[in-house]
Amino acid sequence: MNTNNNVYTIIYTTIIVVVAAAILSIAAMALKPRQQANIKAETISQMIAASGISSKEDLAKLGNDKILALYSDNIKTAFLIDKDGNKTDELETEVSSIELQDNLKMENKNIASGEPSLPVYVFEKDGAEINVIPCYGAGLWGPIWGYIAFNADCNEIVGAYFDHESETPGLGAKIKDEAWFREQFKGKKVDFDNPDKPFGIIKGGAPEGDASKVDAITGATMTCNGLDAALNTWFKAYMPFLSKKAGAAVESDACCCEGDSCDSNGEGCGKECDHQHEHKHQHNHQEG
Amino acid sequence: MEYISLFVKSIFVDNMIFAYFLGMCSYLAVSKNVKTANGLGIAVIFVLLCTLPLNYLLNKYVLQPGALSWLGERFAGVDLSFLSFILFIAVIAAFVQIVEMVVEKFLPSLYSSLGIFLPLIAVNCAILGGSLFMQQREFLHVGEAAVYALGSGIGWWLAIVALAAIREKLAYSNVPAPLKGLGITFMVVGLMGMAFMTFMGISL
Amino acid sequence: MNEDLKKTLLNPIFKGNPITVLVLGICSSLAVTVQLKGACVMALSVIIVCGLSSFIVSLLRNSIPNRVRIIVQLVVVAMMVILVDQVLKAYAYSVDKQLSVYIGLIITNCIVMGRIEAFALGNKPVPSLLDGLANGAGYGLILIIVAFFRELLGSGTLFGFRVLPASYVPNNLVILPPMALIILGCIVWVQRSIQKDLQEK
Repeated sequence: MNTNNNVYTIIYTTIIVVVAAAILSIAAMALKPRQQANIKAETISQMIAASGISSKEDLAKLGNDKILALYSDNIKTAFLIDKDGNKTDELETEVSSIELQDNLKMENKNIASGEPSLPVYVFEKDGAEINVIPCYGAGLWGPIWGYIAFNADCNEIVGAYFDHESETPGLGAKIKDEAWFREQFKGKKVDFDNPDKPFGIIKGGAPEGDASKVDAITGATMTCNGLDAALNTWFKAYMPFLSKKAGAAVESDACCCEGDSCDSNGEGCGKECDHQHEHKHQHNHQEG
Repeated sequence: MEYISLFVKSIFVDNMIFAYFLGMCSYLAVSKNVKTANGLGIAVIFVLLCTLPLNYLLNKYVLQPGALSWLGERFAGVDLSFLSFILFIAVIAAFVQIVEMVVEKFLPSLYSSLGIFLPLIAVNCAILGGSLFMQQREFLHVGEAAVYALGSGIGWWLAIVALAAIREKLAYSNVPAPLKGLGITFMVVGLMGMAFMTFMGISL
Repeated sequence: MNEDLKKTLLNPIFKGNPITVLVLGICSSLAVTVQLKGACVMALSVIIVCGLSSFIVSLLRNSIPNRVRIIVQLVVVAMMVILVDQVLKAYAYSVDKQLSVYIGLIITNCIVMGRIEAFALGNKPVPSLLDGLANGAGYGLILIIVAFFRELLGSGTLFGFRVLPASYVPNNLVILPPMALIILGCIVWVQRSIQKDLQEK
């Protein structure tokens, strides 16, 4: 047979391409549900790890189904908000139809263009509400993202979890691997009085007593800068929602940390803040 | 400004060779003298610069989940991303083939200096790698993709010309017999990589 | 026949190792040698892709039009790679994430195409399959050796389990890309000191 004939060549190539495409489509369709379940379970386990309901290590031992069930059991409600912090849409939380707003990359663009649709996941832990919000940004090599858990009044961070695509293992990857880095977010606040930079990851150590700064990781400056930018972008976008919640709380239980005097030079404020810290320690103690 | 930052970063920080080891095969095989290395390097810049924006458009309008929505509502849910490897490599192979034919026909002098490298390039990981990184990073405009392509290409060119220059000199050095050739080349590339790591903190 | 078979299987693993002797396929893969787990999965993927695509191309070898040979080979290889990628995404999601674009880059891994061109096009399917598997294994072996040293020295762990005492301060340099090349250089050094006939003049 003459295999160099034009017609033969074209027919042959066409057949090969069609057969390959068919095989791939079948494989892709067959495996798609499992792949999506993986992605969903991954997102959920990061959220749960941030909220403190379970640890990442424990979650890694569970199968996808159990992770979905754990989410469904502990979540109270999940919804989307717009740029003014108003609720726009509910998300399904039933095990069979869990909906997640997991395209953070897309939302990151929407934040930049001013029309975001941001998710808030409200978990219930020991009778108290925990609000979990995501963040997303660019690290040194690839994207980094994470989830930040706030208390019911959204004026204190109760946990955080970060992940990355391709940061350097042993350096930038520590944002995920090092527990102390996540732990220091606990008890921190978003600085509502400083809307341009509501949070800070500070190289060389955060100033003592500053409630909205944490230490950066040595040797991972670029990744930490990226995370700092990501947190600030997303906190800014969530600011209306968070301050509304916190504002409601302030009315009932005033705290001068939300006031102006705190940043300038308020002595009474320091006491109040210490008081808050004690409160937090007690809280931790109870958990432990 | 963003473009300049992306450009500089893709040359020095995200260098195809030193940070990602892409295109190593031809990098090691064709770096014995500066002249051929230069030829291959330029061919890589050219092919990257042309195929990466092409693949960007392909990814944006055909492959991404929901990318086909311009065809109508019915196609909005189609996700063809599983076909991306095969289509990217097909675009690259087809492009290289066409360029080879065009150059051979119309620019024989260029063909004799560059043409021999073109078939090598279709299977150069740096080219496909560029497209895959482009997909992973989700650039916003085709312009960003083009700048990234140019930067990565120049980074690759820089790396191969530098290595070729070192290897030309290395021929006169007294290297332990088992390390001669391949072994010492690996180590030299490693050392060059360390030198390039000093660019890591750059931000513009 | 048996002698031949043995040669097909063993040659690529040491004496004709695709990485250290033939200098093929270093491209995409040193970046996955930071941790042993990733390296093992990558090695396994390359073995499977290399073996099966050699097998398929060998089945088709008499019917492939010469002019579109490369394209047909690429389609076959790309198909295998996509299948591997899809399966990993479904059953080993965390590893797939760690390997990121490097799974896709198996397509342009010179070993796969190189073995198809050099062996599968001229041989029967079964020897081609074995040749592909053996070359993949030779490649995987180097990958795993490099990953062993990088994970051990760079993180003090193996497969994520701590092996070195906690007092060992992990050497961050080993984790960074340049050290992969230097370790590879050392492997070549050791191999060529043992096998003097491989030394270059």
